[in-house]
Amino acid sequence: MSSTTLRRLIVISLILLWEVLPRAGLIPELFLPSLSSTLAAGWNEAGEYGHALAVTLYEVAISMVFACGGGILAGAIVGSLPGPRILIMPMISSLYAVPLVILYPVFTVWLGIGSESKIAFASIYGFLPTMLATAAGIQTIDPQLVLAARSMGATLSQRLIRVIIPAAIPTVLSGLRVGGALVIVGVVVSEMLISSAGIGYLISRYRTILDSQHVFAGVLLVLAMAIAFNAAIKWIERKASIWQTGTRAGQRAAEDIPVTAIQPAT
Amino acid sequence: MQPLANITPLKPAPRAGAIKVGNVGQVFKTSTQDVVALSDISLEVKPGRFVVLVGPSGCGKSTLLMMMAGLRQQTSGTILINDAPIPEPDPNRVGVVFQEASLFPWLTAEENVEFPLALRGVAKAERRAKAEDALKLVGLEGFGKRHPHELSGGMKQRVSIARGLVQDPPVLLMDEPFAALDEQTRMTMGDELLRIWAATGKTVVFVTHSLTEAVYLADEVIVMSARPGRIVDQLTIPLPRPRTYEMLSGDTFGTLRDRIWRHIRKSA
Repeated sequence: MSSTTLRRLIVISLILLWEVLPRAGLIPELFLPSLSSTLAAGWNEAGEYGHALAVTLYEVAISMVFACGGGILAGAIVGSLPGPRILIMPMISSLYAVPLVILYPVFTVWLGIGSESKIAFASIYGFLPTMLATAAGIQTIDPQLVLAARSMGATLSQRLIRVIIPAAIPTVLSGLRVGGALVIVGVVVSEMLISSAGIGYLISRYRTILDSQHVFAGVLLVLAMAIAFNAAIKWIERKASIWQTGTRAGQRAAEDIPVTAIQPAT
Repeated sequence: MQPLANITPLKPAPRAGAIKVGNVGQVFKTSTQDVVALSDISLEVKPGRFVVLVGPSGCGKSTLLMMMAGLRQQTSGTILINDAPIPEPDPNRVGVVFQEASLFPWLTAEENVEFPLALRGVAKAERRAKAEDALKLVGLEGFGKRHPHELSGGMKQRVSIARGLVQDPPVLLMDEPFAALDEQTRMTMGDELLRIWAATGKTVVFVTHSLTEAVYLADEVIVMSARPGRIVDQLTIPLPRPRTYEMLSGDTFGTLRDRIWRHIRKSA
């Protein structure tokens, strides 16, 4: 049996257990309501969940732009210039170990409890790993490649566009994967802490009134969001798979991609 | 095998590639001290010759090669390629082949070979035709659509050589091109290189750590000493061409290799 089929079987049996165990009374409905009752609860309040999802998606989208766009830009600058690197990298690296969520109350004081404070928090939360990965990616570009391009008469801008950027793509993608996932975490967590809208807020509110079915409906939505994000990243990685294979960072990334996808289009 | 003669260079470069190195020195400045990497190097390579540079690690032979390629400037002295200095890389005069890692992994073999032409804005069809000729010359006909990770070490190095030759420069500089290959592939690639060299008439300067490879390939071997790098011996290899495997066990071969080894052991 291939590992893919095995993985699918595990997922299917988990879903089945989620339905069967609560129904059989082996797990109290308060702890884990059955899948069908969770879906039904979500469906009954479709309007409320739809609105919450729209708020959360909006916050995630804006934060993604700040975290990923800003992270890649800052990472490229820090990675290619030794001056800023020596100045900034130690600060960023030690900042990375601080649980940034402690800053969230400060953001609510500055920006209120609406979407702005979530976007600010999630942006910073996702920015750091994206920037660190991009900076590392630029630094690990094989200097021989740049030297070879120079020996063929490549100008500075030709070297940047034709060599440095394509060579950095695999590491930038792995940074996006981590950074983007953290953006989702950042938005949902901040919604759960202090908020008036969004999926995190719904989960948190239904929990206080012990309405487990509605809590799990929210959890399902967040899960779906994470899966959709992962699928999107995989799609981009597949598009860029030619870049990835053959570089050291790429070989690791390529293991997640079906073999058929890494064959060149001949 | 078809020679590269039917590939017209963009600027009509002189066919012959002569290299003159006069009193070249190189000093690296570090914060604490100045390190003399090369001291008073003078040598002349006549057009069409195959010259090999050997020496202990850190003797500056790769540095010397990079200066001939215009990738690095000497601190003192002159380097002339076809009687003109080379202040920056000039792919019309000099092609460079590095160790295998220098192929762009995101490009196919033919795109890699086309790369120097693409930098100059040569039209797609002309680029493709030249790349195909160059790949044919190195024995890789039909492998153009593959990516580097789908090629063996020896094949990657053939692509590298094709890339160095695609603009038909009179001089080909090779910096330990076979260092990452296994022994058998290395021997085969040596023979292949000699075949390509004979077919194109290029001037070749080849840097290696392998004394056997040096004697087997060269018209002339230049032996350098450890830092500060200077020329300690210059040997003409009298072995006839084509070189054959049997020569490796001959007396002439052994004597020449011993002579080089004594120099290197002394300075290492």
